[in-house]
Amino acid sequence: MSQVKRVLVAMSGGVDSSVAAALLHEAGHDLIGVTLHLWDADGEQQVGRCCAPEDRDDARRTCEHLGIPHYVLDEREAFRKNVIDPFVTEYQAGRTPIPCVSCNRTVKLTYLADVARRFDATHIATGHYARLERAPEGQLRLLRGRDDDKDQSYFLFGLPQSTLETLVFPLGDLTKPEVREAGRRLGVPNADKPESMELCFVPDGRVGDFINRQGSPTTAGKIIDPDGTVLGRHEGVANFTRGQRRGLGLGGGGTRYVLRIVPDTAEVVVGDESQLYDRQLTATDAHWVAGRPTDAFQGEVRIRYRHRGALADVTPTGNGFEVRFDEPQRAITPGQAAVVYRGDEVIGGGFIA
Amino acid sequence: MIYLDHHAAAPPPEAVRHAMQEAAAVAWANPSSTHAAGRASRQLLEAAREEVASSIGASAADVVLTGGGTEACNLGVRGLAAGRIRVVTSQVEHPAVAQSVRRLRTEGRDVIALRVVEGRPPTPEELAPHLAPDTLVAIQWINHETGTVFPIHEYVQVCREHQARLFVDATQALGKVPVDVGALGADAVAVAAQKIGGPAGAGACWVRRGLELEPVLDGGSQERGRRPGTPDTLSMVGFGAACRLTRERLAHQPRVTELRDRIESKLLRLGGVLNGGNPRTGTVSNLSFRDWKGPLLVAALDVEGLCLSTGAACSSGLQEPSAVIRAMYPDEQWRAGSAVRISLGMETTEQDIETASHAFQRVLARGDA
Repeated sequence: MSQVKRVLVAMSGGVDSSVAAALLHEAGHDLIGVTLHLWDADGEQQVGRCCAPEDRDDARRTCEHLGIPHYVLDEREAFRKNVIDPFVTEYQAGRTPIPCVSCNRTVKLTYLADVARRFDATHIATGHYARLERAPEGQLRLLRGRDDDKDQSYFLFGLPQSTLETLVFPLGDLTKPEVREAGRRLGVPNADKPESMELCFVPDGRVGDFINRQGSPTTAGKIIDPDGTVLGRHEGVANFTRGQRRGLGLGGGGTRYVLRIVPDTAEVVVGDESQLYDRQLTATDAHWVAGRPTDAFQGEVRIRYRHRGALADVTPTGNGFEVRFDEPQRAITPGQAAVVYRGDEVIGGGFIA
Repeated sequence: MIYLDHHAAAPPPEAVRHAMQEAAAVAWANPSSTHAAGRASRQLLEAAREEVASSIGASAADVVLTGGGTEACNLGVRGLAAGRIRVVTSQVEHPAVAQSVRRLRTEGRDVIALRVVEGRPPTPEELAPHLAPDTLVAIQWINHETGTVFPIHEYVQVCREHQARLFVDATQALGKVPVDVGALGADAVAVAAQKIGGPAGAGACWVRRGLELEPVLDGGSQERGRRPGTPDTLSMVGFGAACRLTRERLAHQPRVTELRDRIESKLLRLGGVLNGGNPRTGTVSNLSFRDWKGPLLVAALDVEGLCLSTGAACSSGLQEPSAVIRAMYPDEQWRAGSAVRISLGMETTEQDIETASHAFQRVLARGDA
C-alpha cells in the first residue's frame, strides 16, 4: 500500500486491531473503524465476554484518539446462522469444531468486503498475525505471521483470493511485544489490555453449558472402555473432546483419555494415552489458497491452532486431502482444521473427518 | 458537514448561544437561595419560564421545568396516572412515553396501544370506545421518526366528552406546528428545548391548573412540589432563548417543506420507499432502502459529510431496527432495519439539499452489485 488508500479497519476493541489501525493511520491512510457486533454474551459472564459494550467503547476510544470515524454494525443474525448454529450441531455430532475459520470466511471478512464497497474503501485491515505476499504468477500467498507464538494464519486458510486481494495485515511482521510497544508509542488507549479468549463466545470455556443454553441440550450417556465395558456416566457429549483427560469423573484405575465420541449412542470411549496416536487423517471441504496442487507433496500439517505442525505427505483428493504423518500425532480431532504449510506458506486446509 | 438530523437535536442559533454565554456568570447560583446570588439566578430562571410559557400559550405558573424531554414526558404520563386504571396510547410513541406507560402496566393498569398502520394515526372514532373517566390517554402530537401528525385537537374533543384525561407529547410539535395549550384543552403537555435549538437538559411539562401532578423524582419541593432538584438555570436560559425564536421557526416551515419534498422526490427515484404517509410535518422524510441496512447507510453517508440517523434508539453505539417503523409496517419487516430519517430545520439551505442529494446518489450506487 504505497499511496493513500481508504481502508476499513475491523476493530474488536482489543490491542491488536487497535494497533493495526494506529499503524495505518501513522502511514497516512484514510481510515474508517468498524466494530461488528456478533453476539450478546449471557449476563452472568462478566469477564472476557465477547462483543461487550466495554470492547465497543475501547474501539471507539481508539478511533477518537486517531481522529477517525467509528461505527458499530450489527451482524448477530449472520453470526448465529453461520457460526453458532453449526458450532452446536458439530459438538452434538461428537466433533470439536473450529468456529473461527467459518467466522472469518462467512461472517467477518465476507461481510466486511461488502461493507468496504459501500464505504468506497479499497482495503480491509485486521489485527491478524499473518502476512500476504504476491507470487510471481500473480496470486497472493498467505504466510505465517513473524511472531511464531501469535501466528493466526491457521484460521485464515479458507479465504478466497478475491478476499485476500482486499486484505491488509499491519501486524504480520511484528511480534506481540513490538505491537504493545507500538501501541504505547502511538498512544493507543488500550495498549496494555489483557489478551482476549480464543473462543470469544464461550469465555468460561464451558462448552457443554453453552450448548445447553442454546436450547438444544447435549445428550447424556455412558463412558465406556474400548471393549465396551461401562466405566461411568457423563452429562453430555459436548463436554468432551478427543485427548481430554480432565472432567471424566471416573476415579481410580489410572489416567484415562477420551479416545472418541459416538454421537448416535452418546457414548464416550476412553483409554490409554498410547491409543491417541495416529499417523493418518482425512480432511474434507478443502480450500487451497493459491490453487489446488495437482500431485502429492510433502508439507507440514497443523492439526489444531496450538499444534507446531508435523511433516507429512499430503495427497489432494476430490474435495479434500489425505495426510500421512512421518511420526504419529497425538489426538487428531474430528472437526478441527488440518492446515498444510510449506515453510511459512499456507498451501491450504480442510476439516478433519 | 451537512446537518440533517434536526429531529434528534436542532443546532442552537446564535441568540441561544449568546444568551447562555451571558448568563453563565450568574446562572450557577441556586435559584432557591434567598441571597443576592440566588435571586439573580432566580430572576433568569423565571424570565426563561415566561418565555417557555408564552411560546406555548401558557401561563408561567402552570409550567414545570424539567431536566429534558424524557423527564417532562415521564412526569406528564405518570403524574396524571393517579386514580386512572386504564391507559390508552399508540404503538409508535417515543420511549419516553412508551416506557412510562409500560411501567404503569407493570403496576397493574390496563394498557391499550392503538395501531398506526402505514402511518395512519388512530381516528377519534377509534379512540372513543376505550375512553371513560378512569382513563388516561398518553399520545404524541408529531411522530419523531416519520413526522406523522396526530389529530390532537379532535382527541381533545373525544377525551372531554368521555371525561378522560389527556397527556400530549408535543416534543416534536413545538416549532413545527403552532402549540397553544390554552386553546388546546389537554391536561398536560410536554415540550423539550433540544428540538428547537436549546440544550438537551431542559424540558417542560405544562399541566392544567388545578390538576395534581405527582412528581416522579424524590427530593425537595422545588417547582411547587412537582419537580424536586435544583433547577438548571443556565439550561433554562437557553430554552427560553430558543422559545423566543418559535415564531421564526414556524415561518420557515413552508420553505423547509419545499426542500424536504425536493430531496424526498429525488430519493424516491433512487429506490427509497417512504415510511409514514400524510399528514406529516414538512421537516422530515423517513425512507427505507432495500439494499441497505439503515445504520450502514447512515455510516456511509457520514463518511461523505452528511449527518443523519436511522431515527431509532441507540445503545452503546448499537442500533436496533426501528420499533416505530416495525409497528407501522407489520407485514413489511424489512423496512424497519433499512430505514433512515432525514430531518431538516430552519438552518437548512437549498445548497445543503443539493449536496445531500448528490451524496445519497453516490453512496446508494455502491449498494447495487
